[in-house]
Amino acid sequence: MTYFVLFLGLCFVLGSLAVASNPSPYYGVVGLVLASVAGCGWLLSLGISFISLVLFMVYLGGMLVVFVYSVSLAADPFPQAWGDWRVVGYGAGFSLVLIVGAAVGGAVECWKLGVVSVDGGGVFSVRLDFSGVAVLYSEGVGMFLVAGWGLLLTLFVVLELVRGLSRGAIRAV
Amino acid sequence: MNPHAKLISALSLIAGTSITISSNHWMMAWTGLEINTLAIIPLISKSHHPRAIEASIKYFLVQAAASSLILFSSMVNAWFTGQWDITQLTHPTSCLLLTMAIAMKLGLVPFHFWFPEVLQGSSLITALLLSTMMKFPPITILLLTSHSLSPTLLTSMAIASAALGGWMGLNQTQIRKILAFSSISHLGWMAIIIIYDPKLTLVTFYLYSMMTTTIFLTLNATKITKMTTMMTSWTKTPMLNATLMLTLLSLAGLPPLTGFLPKWLIIHELTKQEMTAAATIITMLSLLGLFFYLRLAYYATITLPPNSTNHMKQWHINKPTGISIAILTSMSALLLPLSPMILTTI
Repeated sequence: MTYFVLFLGLCFVLGSLAVASNPSPYYGVVGLVLASVAGCGWLLSLGISFISLVLFMVYLGGMLVVFVYSVSLAADPFPQAWGDWRVVGYGAGFSLVLIVGAAVGGAVECWKLGVVSVDGGGVFSVRLDFSGVAVLYSEGVGMFLVAGWGLLLTLFVVLELVRGLSRGAIRAV
Repeated sequence: MNPHAKLISALSLIAGTSITISSNHWMMAWTGLEINTLAIIPLISKSHHPRAIEASIKYFLVQAAASSLILFSSMVNAWFTGQWDITQLTHPTSCLLLTMAIAMKLGLVPFHFWFPEVLQGSSLITALLLSTMMKFPPITILLLTSHSLSPTLLTSMAIASAALGGWMGLNQTQIRKILAFSSISHLGWMAIIIIYDPKLTLVTFYLYSMMTTTIFLTLNATKITKMTTMMTSWTKTPMLNATLMLTLLSLAGLPPLTGFLPKWLIIHELTKQEMTAAATIITMLSLLGLFFYLRLAYYATITLPPNSTNHMKQWHINKPTGISIAILTSMSALLLPLSPMILTTI
């Protein structure tokens, strides 16, 4: 089990490496999918299955869909794939950073697996993550409202930035 | 800009600042900072000029990276200590990460590269907001966590900020960039004293905000954005021009003007804490800034273009100046005798 969770961690890092090596977005999204699936698996290993499913839903079902639509509008005539020299260079560079960082950071000895994530108190009766969402709607309603306003504000900001077609700040093609 | 969008941006700026300032939990502090970042992006890119759009993108990238660093630092601390209190940041990795994150948010060296270009790309009032109000939440977080920050890192960043703020401002002719470097230099003064006396950081920040507001409002009233425009601004409002000189010298920190008070108190406190070398170095580096403030004051008041003597002040003024400039100018030049009251009130 330990090795499986370690493998999930490795997949996450490899997925983010694939995104960071700057291929064309069509190929970078493969890395994003791999990273998010590995992240969901990692959350499952910690025991919070609901949050893992929420991440899956929002990331792959929401963000990735929006990304695919916007990429289909702004198509790249000559996309850079994995075999491109620039992408290989970036990938090699980031792999080197990863290896050095893991060696310096002491990844092996400080890897505590199976540690229960931090808890708030004795108010949860059934499961940590599920009851946490319930608390967000009851005692944490201030945070809920602020987060809701933040998301609504993001919508307004994006609309303001792309308003005006070709006269807008970011051209809405 | 669309009035509804402007209203939502303005309300969200106020909301984000209030949320961060009044927070005890790291999540609320981070949320307020993100709301602030989002709300000011349309204001920076308001003119739709390519420079303005580039400025808004640079601002967004830097602030988003800094916010995520704040989030990482609070999460590492929560993992190891089990709590999310802002004042109880104890894990060493968190403290280091947070110092760098706040430096990125404020514009301390070596994370200052975005600041001049962002200020140059925005309008004068947006630049005013960026220099004063958008610095308020990070300074609040800095104050709340002042005992948890890394002193070596802060002092070295502060001295480097004073150095680069002075040096890089010397070659500028655009006034918004000069004010950006002046902001970096003042942030260096604020950062060097926060470990020894956080109240002096607050005094420096308030007085700096007041003086910068005066300068930006004066520049907005006379539509000055570069030094060449400044040389002919005496024909528009001669009195405002003269007070602009006084305000610039106050920003430079010359006695007997208000701007001298924070520098004097900081040097005093540093010397009391046996940090004499740091006090000397940062004072010497402020002399670089003094040069460009003096140059600006000279160009504003002492230079006269070759006009004939009967072609003095313009008869028609476009925009009457409001009462706020008068009040702020008086305060930014004359508050030094009230320093005991300032110290006990703040």
